[in-house]
Amino acid sequence: MEEFYGKLAEILEVDQVNGNDVLEEFSEWDSLSALSVIAMIDAQYGVNLTATDLRGIDTAQNLFALVIQKKGV
Amino acid sequence: MNFTFSHRRLAGLLAIVPANEHSFMDEMANFNAPVGRSLKLKEVMGYDKHRIVDGPVCVSDLACFGLEHLFESGSLGRDDFDALLVVTESPDYFMPPTSNVIQGRLGLKHDLFCMDINQGCAGFLIGLIESFLLLEQPSVRKVVLINADVLSRKVSTKDRNSYPLIGDAASITILERSDDPAPIHANLKMDGTRCEALIIPAGGLRLPSSPETAVLEKDSEGNLRAKDNLRMDGTAVFNFVQVEVPPMIDELLAAAGTTAEAVEAFLFHQPNRFMLEKLADKMKVPYEKMPMNVVEHYGNSSGVTIPLAIVHNLSERIVKESILACLAGFGVGLTWSSMLLKLGPMDFCEMIEYK
Repeated sequence: MEEFYGKLAEILEVDQVNGNDVLEEFSEWDSLSALSVIAMIDAQYGVNLTATDLRGIDTAQNLFALVIQKKGV
Repeated sequence: MNFTFSHRRLAGLLAIVPANEHSFMDEMANFNAPVGRSLKLKEVMGYDKHRIVDGPVCVSDLACFGLEHLFESGSLGRDDFDALLVVTESPDYFMPPTSNVIQGRLGLKHDLFCMDINQGCAGFLIGLIESFLLLEQPSVRKVVLINADVLSRKVSTKDRNSYPLIGDAASITILERSDDPAPIHANLKMDGTRCEALIIPAGGLRLPSSPETAVLEKDSEGNLRAKDNLRMDGTAVFNFVQVEVPPMIDELLAAAGTTAEAVEAFLFHQPNRFMLEKLADKMKVPYEKMPMNVVEHYGNSSGVTIPLAIVHNLSERIVKESILACLAGFGVGLTWSSMLLKLGPMDFCEMIEYK
């Protein structure tokens, strides 16, 4: 989980991302960072998220939970 | 579905790009986005320069310019080919076919199979497959395959989602029979349920162009585009490519009984650098085997990007020697297709500028 938040922080160009942080509140959150997040999740976890999947997600921890859930399927 | 061919070759390739060059740095001011994010986009996607037609230039203009060049340089005789295929999504007219327009403008013979194919980013592959099929007929000695698009004319200049990457270009490929019995493997898949991922919503008969369809509308990211403009769902296209393309290449290589290591060049459609890097990573293909530099030099010209990748990166080698290449195109339709074949030695492989 820490590794996941670290990767998110890299993409969003911040020092740290916490589980409760709301993705849309980051100034760097846009279609480009969303695409980078989708690519990172595919590369690291082998999970393909769609834009619709992402739209339903608010916080970093909920995103991680979705990745784990999809990976388990 | 799978195809196999043999005794076919690409005899020559000419790319035609507009002389008019735009740069992302100059265009940034048109976009409704912070400069920092636009610079990030430039870095990640590899946007820089792109070739855009200057004025109301049409597909037949680029094609006639290129064919005249081949006639004058002696690379192709006016009466030496029996089929003229034009693959485009930006035809001169609804009717007649652009291939007939070209035939008429150049005064080509009546014994000529002219055909337009409405295809986009997989258009080079579709064109090759059709050309190889036509060469089954003894009366078809050579096929002239033209891939051309001037889609900049259908993209909103205020759409950061599509305008920075769009490019106009044409290519002319000469296909003929050869003595080489080595099999050429190809495959192709289509999914029309996702046809709206890449679409020009208005201008056809479903939604004719009108003053309303010309009105610029703002999307959630501040991009301005009208229904008359090209609309791309970038994230959906990215997902499609990452999910469908690697298994397609695996199937192609398996059908050919070979491995990725044996392939000398992966010449893929060039949507942007980001998507190609992710594809290469996923397929474990070294970057040096997969050119990714077409968008930064010329822009994404739909079905012409594979010819541009060949001419820009391999022209000197390919007129002298043979390269085992894996081609892949993916996009509009949605359509995805790939082919494994030996490219070269070609009689010519060059690029000219349209002025």
